[in-house]
Amino acid sequence: MTDKDLIAKLNSLKNIDPDQSWLTSNRELLISQISNSGALKLSTWKVFIINFNSFAKAASRPAYSLGAFALILITASLFSHQVFSSAKPNDSLYIARIISEKAKLNTMFNSDERNKLAVQFATEHAQDISVILSDPQFNNDSNKDQVAKLNESFNEEIKSAKTHISYLSSKVSNEVKNSVDASGTVSMANSLKDNSGVKLLEEKNLNQNITPAATTTSVLVMPANLIASSATATLPIDKVGESDKENQTVNADSILEEVKQLFDKKDYNKAVDKLKEVDEIIKN
Amino acid sequence: MPSNLIEKFKNKQVISKLKSHDKEAFIKVYDESVKDIYRFVYFKIGSREEANDITSMVFLKTWNHIQNNTLVDSKTLRALLYKIARNTIIDHYRETGNKMSASLDDEEHKIDILDEAQDPQEKMDKESNLELIKSKLPLLKEEYREVIIMKFINDLTLEEISDISGKTKGNVRVLLHRALSALRELVEADNKGADSL
Repeated sequence: MTDKDLIAKLNSLKNIDPDQSWLTSNRELLISQISNSGALKLSTWKVFIINFNSFAKAASRPAYSLGAFALILITASLFSHQVFSSAKPNDSLYIARIISEKAKLNTMFNSDERNKLAVQFATEHAQDISVILSDPQFNNDSNKDQVAKLNESFNEEIKSAKTHISYLSSKVSNEVKNSVDASGTVSMANSLKDNSGVKLLEEKNLNQNITPAATTTSVLVMPANLIASSATATLPIDKVGESDKENQTVNADSILEEVKQLFDKKDYNKAVDKLKEVDEIIKN
Repeated sequence: MPSNLIEKFKNKQVISKLKSHDKEAFIKVYDESVKDIYRFVYFKIGSREEANDITSMVFLKTWNHIQNNTLVDSKTLRALLYKIARNTIIDHYRETGNKMSASLDDEEHKIDILDEAQDPQEKMDKESNLELIKSKLPLLKEEYREVIIMKFINDLTLEEISDISGKTKGNVRVLLHRALSALRELVEADNKGADSL
């Protein structure tokens, strides 16, 4: 007989079980014996603590710890912003809000979206500062130092927003420029606008099987210089949209200048309204 | 999540709940481990009646142990139960003054092997082999019998056996090897005796 045979036979002895009736009666007996001692029921908080500690002890290996740390970090960066978003610049939790916003910005990979979000955060901070400073109970001589600090913070926020807007603006203008260069129709129309703009259109219309009478009419109705002079008139719709975006970012930049002036004049309410406008422009 | 981590978590969770004197957690532990503890006691004591009494005592002692706040963070809860069972059996030996010497079990409680596809002759052979092993187990040295029960009948790991018995893993491995050899010799000697008749 080999060890393997012997072990297989020993394993078969697992079939030995106590009587079912004894199992049931002994369970009841045990319950009655312990009924007068021990906790009635653990509180939810106690159960939570137990589960947390048990997980911490079980996951004490470096790989598990690292995984748990990464999970906490990602969750915190994604959701902490929502928790701390209501903290105002004179609150103790404001620093937590700034950290969570920075964490959220750092987890964004799209640079355009990141810049938009940075502008949004900066304008929100500026709005909060303006709201606080508009309160006469706060904005007085007793809080002189804090008011000075908030003024400084406001300027920094506006500066930060302008930097990100200029980045967005340069990117949009580059895109428009590239798309205009890439459009063969527009460049041809531009180059031939004085000499053969009408001819060009006639050829194009003939290629599209339009009758000569109709072609003549359309050429007569639409002056050649008007057709060729406006590059945007021949641009596809999405290119027109990009051009609008460029205008909007420039507009946002100029509104921020206005905001700064209003803030310096201590017209906080109007400054807040203008900041909201910037916020809307950037969101769109 | 790896199953090992889940098992570890559950074990830590149960120990923590027991430390907080949670009765429901204790009853759950009883449901999960009563059969294993019974089997361990039965193969060490050799009598069903006594095994029933001692198993009941083991769980009550474990609960009192928890109540007195003396629950040490054993590597596993299973190891703790076996330790208490082991000590209870030692106390039982002291009280009765004799260790198990007779064969394991009575005629009323034969092991049933449920295998419909098995040839009747083969089934009979298997049953007789099992009865043979059952009858030879009590003849082994106490520590040999104990490691065989824990390792091959109750599926404890080497680490758990070492924790329960207070021996190193290497010692447990050697002990298991010797115990298996001793049991095989006993079984083979019996087979030879039967053949010569």
